[in-house]
Amino acid sequence: MTIAHHPPEELLAAFAAGKLDEGEHLVIAVHASQCPACRCFVRAVETIGGAAIESAKPYAMSKGAFEALMAQIDQSPKTQMPQPVHHDADEDGLPEILRHYRIGPRRRIAPGVSLRPIELPGTGKSRAFLLKSGPGTRMLEHTHSGVELTCVLKGSFSHVGGRFGPGDFDFGDESLDHQPLVGDGEPCVCLVAMTGDLRMNGFFGRLISPFIRL
Amino acid sequence: MTRGSQAVTKSIGSAIRGTFRSAKLRTNDNERPKAKVEWAELIGRIATHGDRDAFRLLFVHFAPRVKGLMLKAGASGEEAEEIAQDTLLAVWRKAAQFDPASAGAPAWIFTIARNLRIDAVRRSARAGFAVPDAELEYLAHPADSPETQISRRQDTARIADAVALLSSDQSAAIRMSFVEDRPHAEIAEALRIPLGTVKSRIRLAMNRLKFLLEEPK
Repeated sequence: MTIAHHPPEELLAAFAAGKLDEGEHLVIAVHASQCPACRCFVRAVETIGGAAIESAKPYAMSKGAFEALMAQIDQSPKTQMPQPVHHDADEDGLPEILRHYRIGPRRRIAPGVSLRPIELPGTGKSRAFLLKSGPGTRMLEHTHSGVELTCVLKGSFSHVGGRFGPGDFDFGDESLDHQPLVGDGEPCVCLVAMTGDLRMNGFFGRLISPFIRL
Repeated sequence: MTRGSQAVTKSIGSAIRGTFRSAKLRTNDNERPKAKVEWAELIGRIATHGDRDAFRLLFVHFAPRVKGLMLKAGASGEEAEEIAQDTLLAVWRKAAQFDPASAGAPAWIFTIARNLRIDAVRRSARAGFAVPDAELEYLAHPADSPETQISRRQDTARIADAVALLSSDQSAAIRMSFVEDRPHAEIAEALRIPLGTVKSRIRLAMNRLKFLLEEPK
């Protein structure tokens, strides 16, 4: 798998610093988990974060903080790693990170196109979902007006920006005019995060906005 | 770039001796183990036999600094203290999962604190659950093939070299802009550059970091 399309470095750095909205955070996490180059970039920014801790001016912890912590540890010394949520066979081959999220039921939104919302823990501005489109599906012509982050999980699509296969990252905003065409052969599954209000006009947004409840 | 495991093992040995010597003689928080390998060794001691002295050293060093960074990044005093406390709790609990071949203990601790911060923000909005992608990069992967482990080690060395090769202004630009979330005006002041050039300085720093991280052809 050769990944050709990557997030801009600013987005990777914002991810590493924990600044992204959670839907966006998830898309970058999934891309980085599959892309060694972006993973290295994220780790480099985290290394700078580590150095920032090292050089931060220390502020004294309140009195007895260490003892309180040890008391807490004595009560329950171990913690469990978060366990993957069970998913139906429908979504086999999901990236490891997504296996930790609950994914809602599939909704058909157009011929050959369906989505499954991903339950995000907080109430961030972005929404995330898995979008599945049948081979050869041509999306309606549209422009972007929200910001949208996409990571291809399976299959491929193409538009003026190039061909996007597994692991590829696509960033959409109003500056592009797209008419994505899903590749032949197999369905295309994408993880999509959309930021914005209820009036979605993003990448696949215009197509699905009448169908998605937010 | 060769980083023989033998050399690493040897330096852990001398590091840990140095650590405990300095721990005994320690008069203030500023006297501390210096190389990251020493922190890794202390974390290893927590993992293998719940070493409380090792943990205390980590706490004394990192808790006040995590608190300091959180305050700098805009957390309230109470939040900063809680995040620092919970970060060290996670260090204890996740010690066995820490991979010494990763980018190092401070970076690992940074990711823990960062995720706790994200969780804290979420909790204030709605009862949330933990960020699952938390420290995936920093966990040991015992199932990895030797080839994968070698490539992880090479990545780690390349990342450390790249960060070290950034100019101090470049790493300050990245640190202040992303990690500490400082306004551009403050970055301009710290770097002694006009306000209007901050954005392009950050971009240049990103480009340079990317260039330095590229695998040798």
